[in-house]
Amino acid sequence: MPPARMVVCIERREVVARDHVELYFRHPALTAAVPGQFAHILTEGTLRRPLSFSRLDPASGLAAVLFRVVGRGTAWLAARREGEPLDLLGPLGRGFPPPEPDRPWCLVGGGVGIPPLFAAWARWKASLRAPITVIAGARTREAVVMVEDFRAGGAEPWVTTDDGSLGEAGTVLGPLRRWLASHPQGQVYACGPTPMLAAVAAAVQGHGPCYLGLEQRMGCGVGACLACVVPAADRATWPPWRRVCCDGPVFLAEEVRLE
Amino acid sequence: MSDNPLAVEVAGMALPNPIIAASGTFGFGPEYAPYVNLARLGAVAAKGVSWDPWPGNPPPRVWETAAGLLNSIGLQNPGVEVFCREDLPFLRRAQTRVIANVIGRTIDEYARVVERLEREAGIDAIEVNISCPNVKEGGISFGQDPDHAAAVTRAVRAVTRRPVIVKLSPNVSDPVAIAQAVAAAGADALSAINTVIGMAIDLKRRRPALGAVTGGLSGPAIKPIALRVVWEVAQSVHIPIIGIGGIESAEDVVEFLMAGATAVMMGTVTFRDPGRMEAVIEALPATLRALGFECVRDAIGAAQGFCEEARP
Ligand SMILES: Cc1cc2nc3c(=O)[nH]c(=O)nc-3n(C[C@H](O)[C@H](O)[C@H](O)COP(=O)(O)OP(=O)(O)OC[C@H]3O[C@@H](n4cnc5c(N)ncnc54)[C@H](O)[C@@H]3O)c2cc1C
Ligand SMILES: Cc1cc2nc3c(=O)[nH]c(=O)nc-3n(C[C@H](O)[C@H](O)[C@H](O)COP(=O)(O)O)c2cc1C
Ligand code: FES
Repeated sequence: MPPARMVVCIERREVVARDHVELYFRHPALTAAVPGQFAHILTEGTLRRPLSFSRLDPASGLAAVLFRVVGRGTAWLAARREGEPLDLLGPLGRGFPPPEPDRPWCLVGGGVGIPPLFAAWARWKASLRAPITVIAGARTREAVVMVEDFRAGGAEPWVTTDDGSLGEAGTVLGPLRRWLASHPQGQVYACGPTPMLAAVAAAVQGHGPCYLGLEQRMGCGVGACLACVVPAADRATWPPWRRVCCDGPVFLAEEVRLE
Repeated sequence: MSDNPLAVEVAGMALPNPIIAASGTFGFGPEYAPYVNLARLGAVAAKGVSWDPWPGNPPPRVWETAAGLLNSIGLQNPGVEVFCREDLPFLRRAQTRVIANVIGRTIDEYARVVERLEREAGIDAIEVNISCPNVKEGGISFGQDPDHAAAVTRAVRAVTRRPVIVKLSPNVSDPVAIAQAVAAAGADALSAINTVIGMAIDLKRRRPALGAVTGGLSGPAIKPIALRVVWEVAQSVHIPIIGIGGIESAEDVVEFLMAGATAVMMGTVTFRDPGRMEAVIEALPATLRALGFECVRDAIGAAQGFCEEARP
């Protein structure tokens, strides 16, 4: 659907873990958004806040965002109640492409990078003939969000935590390397903090296609201000950057340089 | 003149209302088209264009501050040729007034860009951003020295028949001296202000927040600075002034008008509220009436009179 400014009502608010809140809104047109796209949401402060969709469910008409409280804007959002309005621009950006049905598919999420991958998995899991693997990692146990949602939909995520408080101790890189060893031509969709994405891209290099959902500080969110750039892999051609808000946030790993 | 109470004339440019989208905050127009009716705006100032493409600064390029925004975009743009070929056609079709914003690193570059634009239809005025580093003078900006600012103005004036608006930087000790110099050099109007230089530290990463270390502050935080510059410049030059800096409401607009501005530009507020410029246009007639003005023209410089009376 084309992007628009809309005021949506918070239909459901759920504290999913300490400092993690998911807000649901009913908007039948919005559920047609592509997983990986985001909403630019009005909070307090000078700028809107970009948040990816965690759910886009045409059957129920519900869309959602799941976020970690890290500052003023997310704290304000976390304090909203059911029934209150939210002002958002969306859906914005280019989301994930549909996965190839016959290629093994691995979704690798770190922290609040897990929610957009849940939306992708929910949208496309039935279209895959090849096996699907979900790897979900975070610093510590409560930050590994949406594991129960994957389970309810029939997947058993491989979980990692840096501190070993849940699943395997370490990062998502361990399970990802093992998966790549047995699925060398698989397709990888990843979302999470930039250092994690850089490591994922390096690990997947030479294997199958790898799509990354990036973050960058944004101004407008619609392509006008050129704030949200990341370096293009090929700096010889113009422009030497890609805009996360409208060229992305999803990029093929070869397209960008993560520093 | 028409009976539209919002109509103003800036340097020969007839605007249906005094609200202009500020350069660099509105792209080249199409980006905001899903959210804003461009024809409704007084005018649109396009993103600054140079002769060759400029890559801009490394990210992060924005950082939110109390009541403001720091940016270090670094004037990234595809160059005037691409602007003319790919971006101008959209603006021409948008049925709005178009202000082309021009940047350069040498006086010759400014002039070449304006000369190239002269061949194109659909541009109503040229805005010259003199906050660019002057490569021939060790990188200090053209806007920081009255002689350099006047030289750029003269060079641009010589190659265009269109109105020339020179955009002033607040990062100088005496903006009036710059304003007088560019007015004497042939500027038809002034716009003030560009962003105020500043910086922030990213506590968690223990380094400057912006990739370019320093950046330009915009938003409500700079409104008092902008008003002071407009006020002082209005008393010392006789060309129209376009007020810019932290404008978010019809009341803000009237403040700038009363300080001596003929029109205004709105920038940072569009990021949070793309509809704000149109909302301000909608609210402006009633706001003017409530303050005892029949039209925008009546409010221009209204506070300057008080100053005269207060003098001994
Ligand atoms: C495309 C995209 C999708 C995102 N999806 C999610 C998501 O689904 N769930 C989630 O929890 N977070 C997500 N983020 C990160 C989220 O935008 C930030 O955590 C949030 O903006 C922080 O706002 P704040 O006011 O609480 O923090 P503050 O630090 O007070 O914010 C100050 C400024 O910095 C910006 N900012 C701070 N951190 C980030 C960041 N990591 N990325 C971009 N801008 C930042 C803010 O938007 C704001 O302009 C996403 C970011 C992007 C770019
Ligand atoms: C992200 C951003 C980019 C800008 N780019 C330009 C530019 O290319 N040329 C220019 O003359 N001014 C530029 N400006 C300055 C604005 O046009 C305006 O003078 C300033 O932001 C103050 O107005 P505001 O407080 O309403 O934003 C930019 C401002 C911002 C925030
Ligand atoms: S945030 Fe403005 S261009 Fe991407």
